[in-house]
Amino acid sequence: MASTVDEDDREPAMESGEADDGIVVREVCANGISIKTTEVEAKLDEGNIQEAESSLREGLSLNFEEARALLGKLEYQRGNVEGALRVFDGIDLQAAIQRLQPCIADKTPPKKGRSRSESQHAVSQHAANLVLEAIYLKVKSLQKLGRVTEAADECTSVLDAVEKIFHQGIPDGQVDSRLQDTVSQAVELLPELWKQAGCFQEAISAYRRALLSQWNLNNESCARIQKGFAVFLLYSGVEAGPPSLAVQLEGSYVPKNNLEEAILLLMVLVKKCYLGKIKWDPSVMEHLIYALSLCSQTSVLAKQLEEVMPGVYHRVDRWKSLALCYCAAGQNKIALNLLRKSLHKHEQPDDVAALLLAAKICSEDPYLAAEGVGYAQRALSNCIENEEHLKGVGLRLLGLCLGKQAKMSSSDFERSRLQSEALKSLEAASGLESNNLDLMLELGVQYSEYRNLNAALQYAKKFIDETGGSVLKGWQLLALVLSAQKRFSEAEVVTDAAMDETTKWEQGPLLRLKAKLKVSQSLHMDAIETYRYLLALVQAQKKSFGPLRIVPQVEDDKVNEFEVWNGLANLYSSLSHWKDAEICLGKARELKEFSPEVLHTEGLMCEGRVKIQEALAAYINALLLEPTYVPCKVLIGALWSKAGPDALPIARSLLSDALRLDPTNRKAWFYLGVIHRDEGRMADAIDCFQAAAMLEESDPIESFSSVL
Amino acid sequence: MSSSSSSDDDSAAVEPTPAEETAENKEPETAIEEIAAPAEAEETTPTIAAVEAPVTKTSSRASGSGPVVRFDISQSSSLTTIAQTAIESLKPILPNTIPSSLSSAPNPALALLNDLETIAQITALLRRPTSGAGDDNLCRWLYDTFQSSNPDLKLVVLRFLPVLLSAYLSRVVSRRKSLAGFEAVLLSLYAHETNRRASQPLSVNIPDLTHPSIYHESIFPHKNNATALNLAVISPSLEPHGMVRSTKRARIVGVALELYYTKIDKIPETSKIEFCEFCRIWAGDVNNRGVKKEEATAAVVEEAEEEEEEDGIGRIPLPWEILQPILRVLGHCLLGSNSIVNCKKKERTALFDAAIGAIRSLYLRSMHDINPKAILATGSLVKLGDMAMESTDEIDYTEIPYQTIINL
Repeated sequence: MASTVDEDDREPAMESGEADDGIVVREVCANGISIKTTEVEAKLDEGNIQEAESSLREGLSLNFEEARALLGKLEYQRGNVEGALRVFDGIDLQAAIQRLQPCIADKTPPKKGRSRSESQHAVSQHAANLVLEAIYLKVKSLQKLGRVTEAADECTSVLDAVEKIFHQGIPDGQVDSRLQDTVSQAVELLPELWKQAGCFQEAISAYRRALLSQWNLNNESCARIQKGFAVFLLYSGVEAGPPSLAVQLEGSYVPKNNLEEAILLLMVLVKKCYLGKIKWDPSVMEHLIYALSLCSQTSVLAKQLEEVMPGVYHRVDRWKSLALCYCAAGQNKIALNLLRKSLHKHEQPDDVAALLLAAKICSEDPYLAAEGVGYAQRALSNCIENEEHLKGVGLRLLGLCLGKQAKMSSSDFERSRLQSEALKSLEAASGLESNNLDLMLELGVQYSEYRNLNAALQYAKKFIDETGGSVLKGWQLLALVLSAQKRFSEAEVVTDAAMDETTKWEQGPLLRLKAKLKVSQSLHMDAIETYRYLLALVQAQKKSFGPLRIVPQVEDDKVNEFEVWNGLANLYSSLSHWKDAEICLGKARELKEFSPEVLHTEGLMCEGRVKIQEALAAYINALLLEPTYVPCKVLIGALWSKAGPDALPIARSLLSDALRLDPTNRKAWFYLGVIHRDEGRMADAIDCFQAAAMLEESDPIESFSSVL
Repeated sequence: MSSSSSSDDDSAAVEPTPAEETAENKEPETAIEEIAAPAEAEETTPTIAAVEAPVTKTSSRASGSGPVVRFDISQSSSLTTIAQTAIESLKPILPNTIPSSLSSAPNPALALLNDLETIAQITALLRRPTSGAGDDNLCRWLYDTFQSSNPDLKLVVLRFLPVLLSAYLSRVVSRRKSLAGFEAVLLSLYAHETNRRASQPLSVNIPDLTHPSIYHESIFPHKNNATALNLAVISPSLEPHGMVRSTKRARIVGVALELYYTKIDKIPETSKIEFCEFCRIWAGDVNNRGVKKEEATAAVVEEAEEEEEEDGIGRIPLPWEILQPILRVLGHCLLGSNSIVNCKKKERTALFDAAIGAIRSLYLRSMHDINPKAILATGSLVKLGDMAMESTDEIDYTEIPYQTIINL
């Protein structure tokens, strides 16, 4: 080839044969003869198509169509698309297609005369290619001239012709490679043309035609079309509708909307990649990540990422993406394990995003809080330069983790130190991110947990203001804080206001709150009424959420039926309506057979009927089910404290243990005071009673942490 | 998008009076006095619902018949009249005149949709600090126009959704003024979508490659395993809403955005660019706006500055029910057909730039919120945007190879 070019360099007529990017067409070959093109080109440049054609026909002994096809290709390659179009317009391509069909479509018997049919195939395929390539080049010329709709129509005719010629689809390996190339190119070009023409429905049909018919495409070009279609489905905003019934096979998955079809195509592509059929294309995975996370299906996405061949992603990157997937799918344990790996000192221990995610996961679990504090501190020390804006996030998580850690600490001193540090971090975070609403709510909850009710009230109000009352948790917190301040009627007003801002279906938690508020105000009949309403809501929800209904993605607006029955049982037992209480308890037990809450209520009822042994048994059973169940610990302690001087040490240790778990339990403080008094330690008793009294003044009707 | 500066001097057109205080402030401290407010709101509910129910039914029938942008004029003389009437009723609301060519155009609704001058006037009105009250004539016009049976007029209303949401979402937080006008428009969009979907949820059956599909064969063909598929609900079923309850606001706005997305390929680019710019502001990205100022439309930048001066609000809560449709719209703006065609020519469109800016801001926002799902979705879009920008001239596989020797 190089020598040819050298030779050409010496020729003066070179310029005329120059295509756009300097590649020069020099020779045309046919029937074993080849001629230089300079002469032909000169004629073409003069606009003399006929003469150019006849010189080819004579020089290469070609027929009219062959000569025209060659000329057209020559013009096209010279970049003279208008010229090419003029040449092609001279051929009656439709007639040529008509003539092609019988000779190829003739189905000769497979055994007899095989050689004859094969040679005929060769000849007719050659002829077919000549015509089809000519049309294809016409299509390309039209496209380049911006006449895309015409181009698309012509391109469709190429595909129609191919379909007519090969009724059963293109057989593998029996087709001339040039013909196959033309077919593949036409198949790939058609949807692009329709897209350029703005005819999106036609583009969709063209894509489906390309992918669902037998064109014998090679893997790469099929993959390109699949990706193109997936991208179109994902982003064009044009709804494709399900594919026609004709292509639907029994038992196979048929996508019914854009997202389904796009995800299917992308998954198929990913699979082809790791089967080695096509090259890895990073954008395919990104599209899949986008599509699956839009559908909230990150666990499926995790599976896809796990299947990616090693070497594609750096292992740390993969762990981090997987951690995001699992965390979004609520599988925090797996996510944390992956993050621990990626944050190992030999991997990327300073990655701020991973550190923050790990701290976030830890902040939700008191047992992991100490670990989370470490992550948050590491994140803070690495928030530099580009990531400095994440400092507020780091401080916020540090505060949350410290707050959780405080709950687990065994000494008072340690606890108060952690609590004040937690608040300090959260306040610092709020200084950096004054408009972070989550942080506002978290500060409110922290303050209320430490019984700084005025500060809590400020934050709760601010949160409702800034969210425009759109978040239920804000209302709940405000009502709880007010209830802790014993401003019950105001708390009720807040609850009612919140109910006006919610739909009936989501009023469950508010109704529960309201019932408890009524109980606190000794409005027992009102409370029963509210519980009854709540039960009706639960029943209605059960019916409509039935087995076939899709479970709502937001779980927290559903009322827990068990809680309702148990609460009602408690209420009835406090009114000494033992029968009603029994019935409610029975209902609760049907829903949850072994639960400390039920045993707790049962014990209270026994105690109310002065069956002390049974009550004790129930409380102890509750503790056996859940050793950290504080209310029963306190009640056992209370019972033992009345059982004479021998039992006092046991009672004291139980109560101390309860206070270690829940330092704000006023009843525990009270009974501890009783024990101290009975044992004659008056100063201690006074301290305990004081604590109990102070806590009672700030006791909410439900635990503050139930808000978060 | 032409700039729209004259907003304050023409306030005579819409005089705000505290007539319809439906979405009344229910601040808990003062809630005792205002406990009557919801009852009042309930009273206005049936009127809106009564207007909506019959009208939207007919309109959903009209729009359900497939693509309707290029309709036959001879058959649509009534649609033309409807559009002309709408334009007539718009005239007294706007401060400046509307070009008469709009009414005489073959498709007046589309002409209105693409008339930058009029669009700018409406945008300016929507952005006025007093807009959106219950007696706002423009909101009433938008509401009535959306009820019409002309699908192109509906597009005109949808075109203003970004600017309307921007005004609504930033003001509704402080709840100083009644925004019943905005809410009526949003509720009518919500009701339309509820009707169109027959309240049904939108769900996606996540494919599983162990089952054969139309695009692939499976080595282990399971016979009857439809249950093994993952069903993902992308938009839960729709309950009717006669008023905007604050805990449902995100859902109503989200559904309005879902409706915007279903028509996204017919929405003018200027509206999409505005949407992208507002997303940046909602994400809370105020730092590097100056850098890209020249790319932003004048209206949006002004809006942002005003908001900032006003109360420093920009960042809004972005629950998934709002964020998800936002991400779908932004995905389209970034990689939808128009941008792609232009990207290949290495000319980044204004829309592409606006979209990538919005997505970057949302990515940072999701990092701040440590919202893993949003980090994944926005992160992938950021990477795809970067890939699109970096892509060197792609090989055109539909081009025939150059040959120095042409063989027959």
